[in-house]
Order: sequence, then structure tokens, then C-alpha cells
Amino acid sequence: MIQIRGLKKTLNGKKVLDGVDLDIHEGMSLVVMGPSGTGKSVLLKHIVGLFDPDEGEILVEGISVPHANNTEIREIRSQISYVFQSSALFDSLTAGENIQLGLPAKHCRRVAAHTDLLVREAIGHVNLEPEVLHLLPAELSGGMQKRVAIARAIVGQQKYVLYDEPTTGLDPVNANVINRLIARLQGEIGATSVIVTHDVESAFFLGDRIVLLADGKVQAEGTPSELRESSDPVVQEFLHPKLEDEAVVR
Amino acid sequence: MSDRENRLNRAGSIPVRWLRTLGSFGVASARHAGAAGVLFAAAVLALRRPRDCGRETFVQAKAIGIDSLPLVLLVAVLSGSILAQQSGYQFNELPMWIVGNAVASGMLTELAPLLSAIIMAGRVGAGIGAELGTMKVTDQVDALRTLGRDPVVELVTPRVVAGSITMIPIVIFANIAGIWSGWLTAILLLPMTTHEYVYGVQQYFHTPALVFSLVKGLFFGACITFIACYMGLRAEGGAAGVGRTVRNTVVAIIVALMVLDVLLAPLYKLVS
Repeated sequence: MIQIRGLKKTLNGKKVLDGVDLDIHEGMSLVVMGPSGTGKSVLLKHIVGLFDPDEGEILVEGISVPHANNTEIREIRSQISYVFQSSALFDSLTAGENIQLGLPAKHCRRVAAHTDLLVREAIGHVNLEPEVLHLLPAELSGGMQKRVAIARAIVGQQKYVLYDEPTTGLDPVNANVINRLIARLQGEIGATSVIVTHDVESAFFLGDRIVLLADGKVQAEGTPSELRESSDPVVQEFLHPKLEDEAVVR
Repeated sequence: MSDRENRLNRAGSIPVRWLRTLGSFGVASARHAGAAGVLFAAAVLALRRPRDCGRETFVQAKAIGIDSLPLVLLVAVLSGSILAQQSGYQFNELPMWIVGNAVASGMLTELAPLLSAIIMAGRVGAGIGAELGTMKVTDQVDALRTLGRDPVVELVTPRVVAGSITMIPIVIFANIAGIWSGWLTAILLLPMTTHEYVYGVQQYFHTPALVFSLVKGLFFGACITFIACYMGLRAEGGAAGVGRTVRNTVVAIIVALMVLDVLLAPLYKLVS
């Protein structure tokens, strides 16, 4: 379980997170949505210890992330995988080598043959052909890069998978493919997912629970249907453009 | 603050602004020194994990050393030739063997290590700054961390070790190339013989001078790669940020090389 209590963070003089409280239970698919610049990605980065909070506490499986020593932070990170908004594949490595990095280093050294099998399995999970394993990231399309990044995140079968804007920068068809892939993987690998997005459609498609972050605070939290029915003006304001679009389509 | 106070502030603002600028510069320098010290300590501690950084060190040694050699040799050949010509023309009232002496001393003590280092600053330093800077702004460095890898072990230590070690053979080759081209220039363009040139080189050459040359190379190699890694890992702000990082990296390395050269100069007296 991941628990966040009173998380505050100021970046470049701007209060990005202003007392966020959140519980992420095992097996759930939690979507954090909100307008751009409201600290959604910053929140994710706090969970894996890439940022230190100004105030507040983050507990992963009972271990305090801000106060963790090197061994503890390695232990925390061994349970969490992270899909970056930019995919963050290593340019100088092939797709296969990138995916292999998702496995613990000791594992790769000890059982090289098994490593290859796991990498091939992971690339299969994200619906890519094994030939892709030999290509460099620059030779892949944006959607394929995203899928390789997801394969890297799931190959180690970590307990938690954090997705930072997984569909940003993709065309609607590829965004849809990625959304369906995340939903399918959630069922297949059973990991706890935290998905950050500002895309309302993706949020309602992927989330068991949805958190709306605005002005550095949790403005609303609930199931997709609870949020749809919410009378909170902030929630309605965020959902409203989508509803308008639907009306136009109808 | 009232208008009167504002006016007073502005009236006395030039010295205040100077002081403020000086203070900010001091604070920024202290911050850089602290952060660089922490990174350097981490890079040294990472040497305890040779298995994790060994393979990358070999890859970097090839990229830094072997691939840079042709350019370094070209510059060494040209500088040896220039040195021979200038000393031949300017010391024309002295015995001609002085040309061999001047080329050997110039190459060993200064030109071979320093010019090689300046070439490496442009080629290797800028390259590392750009590579690590790009990795930083595209989240690849953070990705390494989330994958349980230590960026210092994976990125910094291999480059610094490779840069330090490969600078030694590079300086040796630069010395040889410079002294050889000095000889070629001397016998082709100056009124002197091979015997005179070799005699001049022998008059200067002693092992401590070579050791000094190589020690300088070692320090310069570490300085170039470490500064490049430090600057690269601090890059931010997309493509423009990487551009700024590369520019600042090259400037910082060249300034640091000159400062280091001044600081290492007394070492020559010590070893000789």
C-alpha cells in the first residue's frame, strides 16, 4: 500500500503540491487527473523518491520514502516501475536492452537465457514483434516507444506500475491502443497502477478510482461514476469541456 | 516601501547591486563546489563496484581515447612543427641544437598535455555534456534511478576513469608526434642536421619531465570528464538547456584546465 500524507512541494517559487493526502490500495487502478501544471507528475516522482517533499510523508509498504536510506530506497524502487511521459528509453541501447534494464541487474548476470525469455514475453505482452527488440529507440514510432517503455516497466513484475501521461503526444488511435493495453495488463499482471493523465476519457476508461488534483490539492476523489455525478463545481468545470464535445457529437 | 525609500534605494543602488552580485556569485560558487564535491566523492566510492561500471568504462575508453587520437596527433604534429620553426627563427644566434631542446621541453611540459586536453575538451567534454544533458532533460537519468541503477556508477565513474586513463597514452603519442614533426621541420626548413636535433632533445629529456607530462595528462583527463559529467547532470530546460550546458561545459573545462595547469606547474620543480 502507498500512503501519502500532507505532501507539500514548492518548485521555482510556485506551490505545486499543497497538502496532498492519498491512499493507494493494492490491486487498484488509480487515476490522478487534473489540468496541466497541477503537480500530477511531481506527485508520482515523490512516490519513487525522485523528489524530496518540503513537508509531508510518503509510505510505500510502510517504508518512509523521504527518510529512506540507500538500501531502503533500492528496496522501494524494486517494487515500483515507472513509465515516463517521454518514454525515457536509452538512445544508445536497443529496445531489447532497454527492456532488459527493467530486470534486476543480479538476475541478468545469473540467468542470461531466462532473461532473454522474459524480455520476449514482455514485448509480446505489449503486442510488438520480437524483431523490434533489435531496433534502437530512434528507429521506433512514438507509439512503439511508449509500448517498449511499458514492456520495460512490466518485465520485472513489480508490485506497482506508475504511468506518467502515457498517451501524451500520441494520435487518438495510438492513445486508444495504449489505454487498452494498460487496461489489459492491469488484468493480466495484477499490479497496482497509478496513472497520471489530463485526458478525461482515458481517466474514466482506466480508473477504478479517480483523484482530481487542482491547485496542489485533492479536489475530489471517487469512483468514475461518483465523479460523473459530483456536484462539485471544480469537478464539473474539469469534466465540462468533454460533456460539451459529446453534445456536439450527438 | 514608500516612494522616498525607493528613491533612496535606487540612489545608493550601484554599490549595493555590486555587493549583491558578488554575494550571489559567492553563494553560487559555494553551491557548485559543494555539489561537485559530493558527486566526486560518489564517483570515487563507485570504484568499489567495478563489476557495475567495468564494461561501460571500456566502451568509454574507446570512444574517448582511440576515437580522439587522430585529431590529437594532427594538432601535436602541427604544434611540434610550429615550435621548431619559431625557435629556429628566434634563437638564430644560439647553437641550432637548441631547437631540439625547445621542442622537447615545450611538448613535454606544456603543449602535449595541454593541447591534447583542449582538443579533448571540445571533442569529449562537449560530447559528454550533450549526451548526459540530453539524458537528463529527457528523463533518462531519472529512469535509471527508478530502475534501481545509480547514475553515478553507470554514467559518471566509467567516463572519469576512462578519461583519466586514456589521457596517458594520448599524451605519450602527442609527445612522440610533436617531437617527430619538430625534427622533420628542423631538417627540412632549418639549417640543421638530425644529429643536432637529437642532441638538443637529449639535452633536455629526462624521465621526470615525461612523468610530469603524463601526470598532467591524468589530471586533465579526470578534470575534463568530471566537469562534463557534472554539467551534463545539471542540465535542464529542453534543447535550449542542452545547448547552454554544452557551451558552459566547454568554457568551464578550459578555465579549469588553465587553473589546473598553473597549480601543477610547481610539481615540475618537485619531480625534477
